[in-house]
Amino acid sequence: MSDHHSDPAHSHGPITRSGEIPEHDDYHGHNAGDHGGDHAHGGIAKYLAVFAALCVLTTMSFLTYSPAWPWRNEPHVGWAFMMAVSCTKAMLVVLFFMHVLWEANWKYVLTIPAAMMALFLGIMLIPDIGLRTRMVAQERALHMARPSDVRLMEQAGEADLLADPAEHKNQSEPHN
Amino acid sequence: MNASAATISHGHDHGHGHNHGDDHGHGHDGHHGPVLQYQPGLPLSRGKLIMWLFLSTEIMFFAALLGSYVVLRFGAPVWPKPHHVHLSEPIGAFNTFVLICSSVTIVLALEAARANKTGLAKFWMVLTLALGGLFLGVKGYEYQAKFSHGIYPWSPRSRVFEKPDLYYGSAVRARLGEPAIIDRLKELDDAAENTLSEEEIAGRRRLKQIRQMVMSPDQQPFDLAVVADQVMPLPVEANAHGDKGGHGSHGLNDTFPWLKLPAVIPGGNMWASTYFFLTGFHAIHVIVGLIVFAILLLYRLGPKRAGMIENAGLYWHFVDLVWIFLFPLLYLF
Repeated sequence: MSDHHSDPAHSHGPITRSGEIPEHDDYHGHNAGDHGGDHAHGGIAKYLAVFAALCVLTTMSFLTYSPAWPWRNEPHVGWAFMMAVSCTKAMLVVLFFMHVLWEANWKYVLTIPAAMMALFLGIMLIPDIGLRTRMVAQERALHMARPSDVRLMEQAGEADLLADPAEHKNQSEPHN
Repeated sequence: MNASAATISHGHDHGHGHNHGDDHGHGHDGHHGPVLQYQPGLPLSRGKLIMWLFLSTEIMFFAALLGSYVVLRFGAPVWPKPHHVHLSEPIGAFNTFVLICSSVTIVLALEAARANKTGLAKFWMVLTLALGGLFLGVKGYEYQAKFSHGIYPWSPRSRVFEKPDLYYGSAVRARLGEPAIIDRLKELDDAAENTLSEEEIAGRRRLKQIRQMVMSPDQQPFDLAVVADQVMPLPVEANAHGDKGGHGSHGLNDTFPWLKLPAVIPGGNMWASTYFFLTGFHAIHVIVGLIVFAILLLYRLGPKRAGMIENAGLYWHFVDLVWIFLFPLLYLF
């Protein structure tokens, strides 16, 4: 713990509940410091532990690329895993770095409605944007890529009609 | 919060005194009347409340952006693989690491400021600023890699075609017919073999062949796919052995940077729009954060400024948070 608070009354309460208002001069100022609630928390050791966890989690995102990953043919598993890792990282940042873990109950007032709105916004986009490609204007249908175009490109890459016998372009084929 | 904060100790408050004066007659004379507590609506400072309100709007802003990306990406019939659009996962992971580090340094700056170690606080703040700058530098490098491959978010500069169709063929012909390119091609054709590298000699031979293919009157649809593959091949998908798979993916546009022929990336245009939109807005947020840190550096970072540092830090952590989701969505999916 890096800080030594002079007032013991503020250093032990885990959460400043909305009912009990600390008598602190800071409330009269604008930004002059902060209430006693999170003075007792944090601490450099804790931040460094969170930092280490974040680094480990970032590396874990790459697990889906490793040969040991068992669901190589099912990308959805990998996506779900990576999103789970991201959500864990986000929770760590929000809870520890943004001090939300030690905040009073107002945190729910601000974050839950915003999160619900965010979710709602995302869901609302599905019919308007996501399903749009199912029915497109003829002009767009003419120009848009289809899976067959990807296959065509892949075939062109594999065929390599222009290859010179002297060249060996596709030598470094991936061997699984 | 003023409305709910009205019950300040009446012993000192003359402004409100006459409103409530009848309730407690002896409040004005310095005697000990009923001293009521200051009662803010929410137990946090005004600046922090406003920052959190702002952040909750930002949550919705980025949720809309990320949501539309996800919905577009999974609704699209074709979406390019990260290697098709020259995204490098290690660089993205490095940037993630840089932002996480900067989140730690700003937290440490706050702790130092609270402990009245102003020099230390300034050090951490400068480090945060540097890490943010590094993030932007790496981002700029990545943007440059996209631009150099003709991937732009807007139409006249973008050289990305969705598929190797007749429109693509005519675009290649148009580029090959530009006077400057005609001159360069002539120069290349006349160059002696010993002035060229091995790669350039092979490239020259292939370029000659695709020039014939693209001009040929009895051109087959597959020919244009071959042309597109020669100009800029879709790299082999990343595998467990790292980037080695992409070794054979050197196109004519890479061999001759001046050539700048149109290239085919199926789904590449929608990808470019979402990529530049998402990372662009994120980069704007990073720039704003750096400006705030630069301003904070002008002050003495003691306990008096802890609130300001905390609010700037909250914003910065949010920027980090957005990148935590952007990184896997853009680089790893």
